Amino acid sequence: MSLQNLLQDWSRYRRGREEGGFHNYEHMWGMSIDLNLCIGCNACSVACYAENNLAVVGKDKYEKHQAMHWMRIERYWDEPDLGEGRVSEYQQHGASFLPMNCQQCNAATCEPVCPVAATYHTPDGLNAQVYNRCIGSRYCSNNCPYRLRYFNFYSYYEDSWPEPLNLQLNPDLSVRDKGVMEKCTFCIQRIRVAKDKAQREHRVLQDGEFTTACAQTCPTSAIVFGDMLKMYDPNSTNPSSKVIELWEKHQVELGVTEQEKHNPKIRGYRVLEHLNTDPCIMFLDRVREV
Amino acid sequence: MTTDTRDMRNIQEDYSKDINEDIHWAKINEDVLRSMENPRMGYWIAVGVSLFLLSFAVIAEIYQYNTGMGPSNLNWPHMWDLYIATFVFWIGMSHSGTLLSAILHIIKADWRKPIYRFAEAMTTFSLMTAGLFPIIHLGRLWNMYWVIPYYSDRGIWPNFRSPLVWDAFAITTYLTSSALFLFVGMIPDLAICRDNAKGWRKKLYTALSLGWRGDDRQWRNFRKTYLLMACFLIPLAVSVHSIVSADFAMSIMPGWHVTTFPPYFVAGALYSGCAAIITLFILLRYFFRFEEYMTIAILEKTCKLTFAISMVWTYLLFIEFAATWYGPDAVDKELLIGKFTGPYSPLFITMIFLGSILPLTLAFEKFRRNIPMMFVVSLLLNVGMWLERYMIVTPTLSLSYEPFAQNVMWPSWVEWFILLGSFGWFGLLFLVFVKIFPSVSMYEVKEMIFHRRHLANKEIAAVMHRRLDDAEKKPSTTTPEPGLEGA
Amino acid sequence: MKKRAHVMALFSNFDEAFAAVAEIRYYRIPGLTVDDVNVISPIEHPEIEEFLGERESHVPKFTIMGALFGLSFGFFFLCTAQANFLVQPQGGKPVVPLPSNFVLTYEMLILFGVIATLIGFALGARLFKKRDSLYSESVSLDQVAIELHVDEKYMEPLKQLFTEHKALEIREAVA
Repeated sequence: MSLQNLLQDWSRYRRGREEGGFHNYEHMWGMSIDLNLCIGCNACSVACYAENNLAVVGKDKYEKHQAMHWMRIERYWDEPDLGEGRVSEYQQHGASFLPMNCQQCNAATCEPVCPVAATYHTPDGLNAQVYNRCIGSRYCSNNCPYRLRYFNFYSYYEDSWPEPLNLQLNPDLSVRDKGVMEKCTFCIQRIRVAKDKAQREHRVLQDGEFTTACAQTCPTSAIVFGDMLKMYDPNSTNPSSKVIELWEKHQVELGVTEQEKHNPKIRGYRVLEHLNTDPCIMFLDRVREV
Repeated sequence: MTTDTRDMRNIQEDYSKDINEDIHWAKINEDVLRSMENPRMGYWIAVGVSLFLLSFAVIAEIYQYNTGMGPSNLNWPHMWDLYIATFVFWIGMSHSGTLLSAILHIIKADWRKPIYRFAEAMTTFSLMTAGLFPIIHLGRLWNMYWVIPYYSDRGIWPNFRSPLVWDAFAITTYLTSSALFLFVGMIPDLAICRDNAKGWRKKLYTALSLGWRGDDRQWRNFRKTYLLMACFLIPLAVSVHSIVSADFAMSIMPGWHVTTFPPYFVAGALYSGCAAIITLFILLRYFFRFEEYMTIAILEKTCKLTFAISMVWTYLLFIEFAATWYGPDAVDKELLIGKFTGPYSPLFITMIFLGSILPLTLAFEKFRRNIPMMFVVSLLLNVGMWLERYMIVTPTLSLSYEPFAQNVMWPSWVEWFILLGSFGWFGLLFLVFVKIFPSVSMYEVKEMIFHRRHLANKEIAAVMHRRLDDAEKKPSTTTPEPGLEGA
Repeated sequence: MKKRAHVMALFSNFDEAFAAVAEIRYYRIPGLTVDDVNVISPIEHPEIEEFLGERESHVPKFTIMGALFGLSFGFFFLCTAQANFLVQPQGGKPVVPLPSNFVLTYEMLILFGVIATLIGFALGARLFKKRDSLYSESVSLDQVAIELHVDEKYMEPLKQLFTEHKALEIREAVA
């Protein structure tokens, strides 16, 4: 608390107004998920459980919808419409998968509603969730149109990892206790390690130097992760990345509510874009055979 | 008047008069002071029931505190459910007492005088109940003080953008102001109690009456203070429930993101508050034998008010349906259809019946004068209003944008126990209050009688209202009836 | 040195009491004016003010000061807190969001307005004073009292006046 802070914040705000945007972003992590490649194998989800110390809640609590799957594979069994009452011969082809993890919205609906500012936007373009600050009002989850926030309804750690399974816990991040909201962080512990390493070696972080657990595990490479700051801010010195290539190829832009598509065959879209949440994950539509 | 008024229950009341103007002032004091000493047996039964209900909540809360939010059946995505619905319900209950008292005070409707005290107490105590729910529903309630804006070395403040922080501000202000409003209005009565009490009560009332003696300086300042506070409380009460509605309206969820929510919530709040006033009116009238003060005529007026507000609420409810139905938001429309046809539809339809159709009974004089019937109706109206809050919170959580997350959840015993316990907590606070403090305003009933009598008598009124400057005639020495003002 | 006397008469009939006040107003007792009179009453009635003349009350001044304080302090407090809050900024939104600050300032205005009104009431009405020995409990029941702090020489004519107007009881104390 000082006059200096106050003036600094004020000048940051002024600059943000002039340049359109508020943060001096260091990175803007984004993702592209190709649904044509997704085979619904759930490997990403399993990898996420292992990487992020997600509690395994057991059958009873799973049935009560109290599970903690940060990366979930949604299954939709709607049949393609063939017209004239015809039914597809290939029932299994009707199933479609949608891997959903936190969309890391740039205009996140969860952030402004938290009473204690436990969730906020980092200079990495992430929605950070500060476990220590969270008081568990759960407003963020109620205001997330994607329902991607999960709450610790119990002290799950007590029986999630009985001896010796506790030895498999990832030491790079905490185990959460009851009463705290949590969600996908884009493996922020990996981001930290990579950034620190690059800083020690006095170089900029390269694309593909590291990736999230889900992207790493995906057997079909449906998930691509990388830094998109170059796309958001052309003056940035950060290197371009594979994700930017994909976003540009599929004509999806950040910071708009409706994408301007030139080619109807291009598959890129963002989920619930019309709500103006500005998510950082692009999905590539599945082309289905009937 | 030789008949013991306690036996007057069998005598037909005069429905045209708000109050019997021949009542002696000494009797008013006596009746009200007696109510604080020896209520009917029903009072003690009510205290027992309240304690019993409260113990449920204590058990459930201890269990929930130690285990986490899981046992309450809260799940993904049903993160709020009963707790927040009940929070809104209690906030709503709190709206009638102070708001109506202040409005009726400003428009000089003197029939408020015998009933405003308990209505304001209801406001204060239902706020104290409502305030518990956001705390109970927190995952880590031991850290709840982080919502308060205080200076910390870490430079962390609450997020002032969050409607939950607005709630904290609004409820603090409302609780403080309405408790003070209740207290200020009670000071002259506390002085009466002080002059008549013995023992610990004497000490209590002496301290609380702040040295009130009733001279013209005090009354003059009192009148200004009371009026000014009433002027503050009207916009405050409206803003408080608008802010509570902002919890929903500020979100982007279908069924919550509704522009008409602030007036809709305020109307709903007034509605359930009025219904609660009727319930408590009937209970107090019975417990404390207040038949002479809480008259059928006043009950009728309250019922008419409730009827009017219920129709406003109904209008706003159907406006909301229409806006959704003819609006462009497909998800919102789906949710509306889901409310009528989905798993929660029985509750939703019951709510519409209780909230919009049942109040039509209040339009009939015959029903309005039937006390047992009004008791049941007012309770049912409040059940309807509770269902309304539940039907605002839960269907949206159940059916929103993400189809994969849609599911149906029914609350577990923990939530029900805490809900029941909240009634026990409210009941206990209220019952203790009416036992310790005068629940009918003695000085204002006297005022009501005095003014009604004097305005009725033209000759006296002429004397009373002589201005300073029309001094030609010496003050009248007309012999007023002896013992006009009482004893 | 002249002694100050404190006299209080109790009436059961309000009109008689008011008539007595009116007589003082019309200088029945030379040297005494209506400004010396206090009326102690069990109920609040605006008519008393008409009999006693305009007497000022400072409560509204407290109210307006409190409300203005709440308004300015509230807004300033919120802005300072927000401007010092380093992690608060959320993608692309202002540090000091006016809509939410208006809501919160509104609440602060009312809170401080109400509290200041009460302080004004406590000071203006001279609460928290010990009641004097003349205080009669029947005033809180149904009688009205006229009270004066006057020079001793007025005692006799006053008593006479009160008796004329059927005072039930006259209490006096000489300080």
